[in-house]
Amino acid sequence: MMSARTLLSRSAPLLACLVLLGIWQAAALILNTDSFPTALQAIRAIPSILGDKESLINILASLRRMAIGFGVAILVSIPLGLMMGRSRNVASFFNPVLMVIYPVPKAALMPIIMLWLGVGDVAKTLVIFLGVSLPVIYHSFQGAKAVEEKMLWSGAAMGLSAAQRLVRIVLPAALPEILTGCRTGLVLALITMITSEMIARQSGAGNILFNALDMGQYDTVFAMIIIIGAMGIGLDAAFERLRGRLVRWSEPRFDIPLSFA
Amino acid sequence: MKVVRSDIPVEPARQPAIAMIEVDHVSQVFQTSARQDHLALSDISLTIEDGAFVSILGPSGCGKSTLLYIVGGFVKPTSGVAKVKGNAITGPGPDRGPVFQEFALFPWKSVLGNVMYGPRQQGVRREEAEAQSRRLIEMVGLKGFEHFYPKELSGGMKQRVALARTLAYHPSVLLMDEPFGALDAHTRTRLQNDLLNIWERDRKTVLFVTHSVEEAVFLSDKVVVMTRAPGRIKQIVDIGLPRPRRRAELLLDPRYQKYVVDIERLIDDTGEEELRP
Repeated sequence: MMSARTLLSRSAPLLACLVLLGIWQAAALILNTDSFPTALQAIRAIPSILGDKESLINILASLRRMAIGFGVAILVSIPLGLMMGRSRNVASFFNPVLMVIYPVPKAALMPIIMLWLGVGDVAKTLVIFLGVSLPVIYHSFQGAKAVEEKMLWSGAAMGLSAAQRLVRIVLPAALPEILTGCRTGLVLALITMITSEMIARQSGAGNILFNALDMGQYDTVFAMIIIIGAMGIGLDAAFERLRGRLVRWSEPRFDIPLSFA
Repeated sequence: MKVVRSDIPVEPARQPAIAMIEVDHVSQVFQTSARQDHLALSDISLTIEDGAFVSILGPSGCGKSTLLYIVGGFVKPTSGVAKVKGNAITGPGPDRGPVFQEFALFPWKSVLGNVMYGPRQQGVRREEAEAQSRRLIEMVGLKGFEHFYPKELSGGMKQRVALARTLAYHPSVLLMDEPFGALDAHTRTRLQNDLLNIWERDRKTVLFVTHSVEEAVFLSDKVVVMTRAPGRIKQIVDIGLPRPRRRAELLLDPRYQKYVVDIERLIDDTGEEELRP
């Protein structure tokens, strides 16, 4: 009985996907229009995309930009957020700037960035960087601010300097919150990656998708949506695994894990 | 009796009244949100001898914790000076080890990791720090819990870890800020007993903040009774109860009962009779 229940909860995400595909299949059959291929047609188009060298290079180029944009954003944003969280001066210096940038959709900056930096890798990576930075800074800031004062005092009594306390107490103590920001950042990286390629159409997964749309290859369009969606799910699940390992010591927040990990 | 001078230092008969902590005319003013000054501590002077167990007792908001934070170096006094072993306190240091009501353990470290943290920071080799920490964990009664994370422990266990973590770096003074305040009555009693037993071994100087009269009398050599805001020292009561103290005997001891009643009256400000030291 118990094992049946575990089996059900384990396979629930897969089941949800299958139900979704089933609804799609049924809807497409009922509507029966060219611009809405069935789920099976879309899935059938996937191997030809992944088997094509040109497409593969495009997708890998997308992932590379995403990885660089995400990586650099994290390396800059975590220290900045932590320092803002522990120093009133740093916070009041950066806060106004961030408040202005925060609500602006980063893709809206793309035309200007393209104007200055061209349509190549640099412009697109920069947009991804901007998209990822803000949630990571914000969550690092919140996490650092919430660190218990007495914990820092305990460290100070052991002889840790202010810099050591930031790295060895504030950073680990804020890690659950920081990683929440990173997870949001990861999804935003994927979104900004595709939108940047949509605006600056030169290479990448977004480029394949919109070229196919222009040419009326709707099964390719939907196949690309599945591929991009699967990339998102895969990356998020991998990240959740990593996060779970890093913050095993902290309280679990949900009984139902909100991911595929 | 005459003291015979000798070149050999006499070990047990310590020179009396070596001041471990001196608090000299310390006042503390806080700015409240309404931009009004709030006098938390007013002209406190206090000397704590080496090896003494001293409690600071007072109603909440009397600044007793603030006084402890000043000795810890966590809070700078508005005026006056606090000294440890004759040196003015300018910040926290491993000679003064705090134990907080909130435990303040490092949640990402195991019990062992928490206790080893101080020695490792002091440059003690890993194997040595670990062996020493394991002994301390056993001493506070947590053998078998070395690899548990703080979130897996009860409040009483967490405070035992916090005590072991502080003892691990050998502070000269233990600064205990209402350490048992967040615990249930039963756990509290057990921790008081265990703290006394541990303290009897090396008789470290302890500054212990509490609002429980019984706790203060049971544990201390001296009880510093403070007044409500602004915090002033109302009276210092010497607790002349023999050591080692056993709870069962002490609770029946009329002297203990008298100390408790007298100090309670002192706090209530209704006591008319003179307090006998």
